[in-house]
Amino acid sequence: MDENYLKNNSLEPEKHNGNKKNSWDYKQTLVNGLKNGLETTWTLSKIIVPVYFAVTVLKHTLLLEAISNVFKPFMNIVGLPGEAAIVLVLGNMVNLYATLGAIATLALTSKEITIIAVMLSFSHSLFMETAVAKKTGINVAIILIIRISLAIVSGLILNLFL
Amino acid sequence: MSLVDVLKEGATGSISSILNMAKIIIPLMVVIQVLKDLNVLGKLSNNMKPLAKFLGISEDSTFPLIIGLTLGLAYGAGVIINSAKEGNLSKKDLYLVVIFLVACHSVFEDTLLFVAIGANGWLLLGIRVIVALVLTTLAAKHIDKMLSNNKIKL
Repeated sequence: MDENYLKNNSLEPEKHNGNKKNSWDYKQTLVNGLKNGLETTWTLSKIIVPVYFAVTVLKHTLLLEAISNVFKPFMNIVGLPGEAAIVLVLGNMVNLYATLGAIATLALTSKEITIIAVMLSFSHSLFMETAVAKKTGINVAIILIIRISLAIVSGLILNLFL
Repeated sequence: MSLVDVLKEGATGSISSILNMAKIIIPLMVVIQVLKDLNVLGKLSNNMKPLAKFLGISEDSTFPLIIGLTLGLAYGAGVIINSAKEGNLSKKDLYLVVIFLVACHSVFEDTLLFVAIGANGWLLLGIRVIVALVLTTLAAKHIDKMLSNNKIKL
């Protein structure tokens, strides 16, 4: 969930001021940690709430069923119901927070959630993270191919063995 | 089902999801802050010579590796960019570290958030770590050839 690190912190790691153990300002650490936790929860909420509402509305219209029917053949290969396509699209185009809202709305089994989690953990936030990876000077096409292939292959294999 | 019911379902459902995740995120961020302020990760990376050898990367690359693994890709990339500027990372190291990290990064946060919504966390974490290790060692064996042949423009 790297968006927060980009937004709330500089890209460079913080200067470590705890080298001398006796000077560790643990109160400041606690305050900063709580602050980061609350900020992350806030970022998470801003994404999860709209996605949750949107998917809940979709669920009660025929639209979700229509989307589900279109993607069913592809999604069944990795052991997922058609409507889980929404989760994969959200995860890759937006980020993992958005998928959390969508997964919570759809009634998925624990096997399905585990498959989605593994697939998404390999391939997510492609726009944002590819931009980050590009900054290191690497060929991003290779990285994208690796990530998407890992997601598909892991889904196929998990569907067979879970 | 009326619109009011739908809105009610959206409100209660999204609030309970957020509370669930807050219970994980807030303590996690405190722990991560402690790790950062005590420089635990820096010290840890000094003790990872065996892993570096196993993966085929130089010892200097263990710091960006451990940062990306625990804190996330953006932090890891920040450290990589810094090390690259200082000339500590070869092209080979850069590729291997990034390949490892795209398969497996910010392991605490990602794993715990998916566990909160019902995924099998051990399986998720195990698969990511094993795939990252296998992928990186495989890449390490072949990357010299690829870099020297200029088969792909790296």
